[in-house]
Amino acid sequence: MSILVRRSNLVVPAVQSRMVVRSWMRHADAVTLDLQDGTPAAELSQVRSTLRQCVALAGKGGAQVFVRVNADFVYADSNAAIGPELTGIVLPGVESANQVAEADGILADLEKIHGVTRGSLEITPSIETAAGVWHIREIITASPRVRQVGIDEAALAASLGITQSSEHDAFVFARGRLCIEATAAGVQPIAVADPMGVQTGQISHETMTQIATDSRNLGFKGMVCGHPSWIDPVNEAYTPTESLVDYYTQVREVFAQALAAGTAAAPFAGRMIDVPVDEWAKDVLAMSAACAARDAEKQAALAAAEASFDSSIPVIG
Amino acid sequence: MASTPRRLKRSGLTMPVVTPRFINNAWHRGCDYINMDLEDSVPPRLKDVARNLIRESIPVVNKGGADAVCRINHDLMEADLNAVVWPGLMMVNYPKAEYAHEIERMDGIITRLEAERGIRPGTVEIGANIETAVGVANAYEIVTASSRVMDFGGAAGYDMSRDLGVEMFVGFDQFVYGKGEVELAARAAGREPHAAPFTPNITGSVSDPDRAFAEADAARKCGFRIGGGLHPAVVEPQIRGFAATDDEISDAMWVIQEYRKLDRTGETWLQVDVASVDREGSPRPMAADSYLGRHRVIDRYEAARAEELLQWRSLCQERDREKAEAIARVNAAEAAGSPS
Repeated sequence: MSILVRRSNLVVPAVQSRMVVRSWMRHADAVTLDLQDGTPAAELSQVRSTLRQCVALAGKGGAQVFVRVNADFVYADSNAAIGPELTGIVLPGVESANQVAEADGILADLEKIHGVTRGSLEITPSIETAAGVWHIREIITASPRVRQVGIDEAALAASLGITQSSEHDAFVFARGRLCIEATAAGVQPIAVADPMGVQTGQISHETMTQIATDSRNLGFKGMVCGHPSWIDPVNEAYTPTESLVDYYTQVREVFAQALAAGTAAAPFAGRMIDVPVDEWAKDVLAMSAACAARDAEKQAALAAAEASFDSSIPVIG
Repeated sequence: MASTPRRLKRSGLTMPVVTPRFINNAWHRGCDYINMDLEDSVPPRLKDVARNLIRESIPVVNKGGADAVCRINHDLMEADLNAVVWPGLMMVNYPKAEYAHEIERMDGIITRLEAERGIRPGTVEIGANIETAVGVANAYEIVTASSRVMDFGGAAGYDMSRDLGVEMFVGFDQFVYGKGEVELAARAAGREPHAAPFTPNITGSVSDPDRAFAEADAARKCGFRIGGGLHPAVVEPQIRGFAATDDEISDAMWVIQEYRKLDRTGETWLQVDVASVDREGSPRPMAADSYLGRHRVIDRYEAARAEELLQWRSLCQERDREKAEAIARVNAAEAAGSPS
């Protein structure tokens, strides 16, 4: 089965045309055009009128493109975005399986109307309340379109009356539940690590790399990026490092030698190597190859886009 | 309060049953149990050979008083059970438990084998080990699927890290939620949780005695009573870490003494500044700078904790005596030149 590599997902307010125009140059694995929080209600109609064009633009560098729809306007927002370049929608404030099932039905209708491959559009539920965390299992299994699920920690904090700080982690349980239930269902958990939910600005590359590495080691498969500067460190953190690849290459060699010698447990570098370690080594090496393939794919798209880049493209919206 | 297991499992060594020197030396390691492995430490081509070694290895590993345990393969459950359920086996460890129906099926097979092989019904326990997110999600259904499940834990380790896609030994507890779910399920079902609180480990060493002690000590203080490892160097530190110290025992006796006095007054609690208590007296509380603190509250909860600690010490002493006698018997038999 192929590995879904979607390490970084840059969120851009759809109404901010400068950000949208530049989003394809950012090396993100995915771009989400936000119609909800980042777009004033009064400007929704105007934004929708150029949304399909924005989706195509955001994907020029090889990023998969999502649209974060308004919970009350799933049909209108999705209808404005749908096209061959749209990967899926982010569904905000999901608290029940019914909301996902309803969105599934809307996307099925739109796929038929617009000639898009049936069942191809994804739904990424955004969990923003305690009810959403509690009903996570039903939510993520409500539609096969759900391939990723995330907690919007800023929204969850607001709904629970939490003041986030780096001193206290309020989301140990919520994140843990998300990672366990999503993994059990074969869905990728994505998130931002505390206190990332309230940090929307620029932070150092080193700090971001550490935060993203920690989130990967909690079980997340990618991070929502509120600022373009986060993308490179997030991509790095979710890609196996050269030293890890070297280490696990050696693990595989040691284990193969042990098997040939009649045992499946062998000491290596102060640790014990057995079946699960070798299996994990295979996973890390496969992930490394998948990330390299994804980066090459984006690089090719980026090169093609740059070659045809026309700086006279009008500002949209 | 920690529930009391039927058999103590403070320390145990997991070893491939196909390595004779491990099995032959297991009896004098001092463990409460020996876990003969058919799973991850045994190469696929040796699985048949391995399972057929268990019956003859049971009396070898338990002649020093250790209980004989066998870890079977998840995907070879029936064949493995047929080969390992023999008199003398205390428990079957079942890895990667994910669904209640797996445990129900195991229970049925073990029940049949006990009847066929002259084993008292209900003797063989099941240790269900959670090693995947699916297992965590179904924890309560799994632990309650059979009354044989007396040892329930996991949600950490290499298999779990692989399932979640996380590295081991990262310096923080990446498994905290899963471990909590599994522990709660075990305690809610009245079974023994096989877990430990997080203690930092960034080396991944399996033979570090200091870390083994620290982990066992922390585990005991958090109400856990089961340990285990891969290297003989961790056996003694684990036994020591799970034992209450003399100071803790004296403290527990003091707590009970103070509570009995309280009982006669009609009050339900009192606070004692232990800095003012005679340090020469016996029993006496832990020192004011100990982990229990200076200002101690004596109430029925504290008295219950103290009672459990004393009971635990008795169980440990009884188990240690049992093992010492078994080893003495083996040594005497060997000295007399007769088979043990």
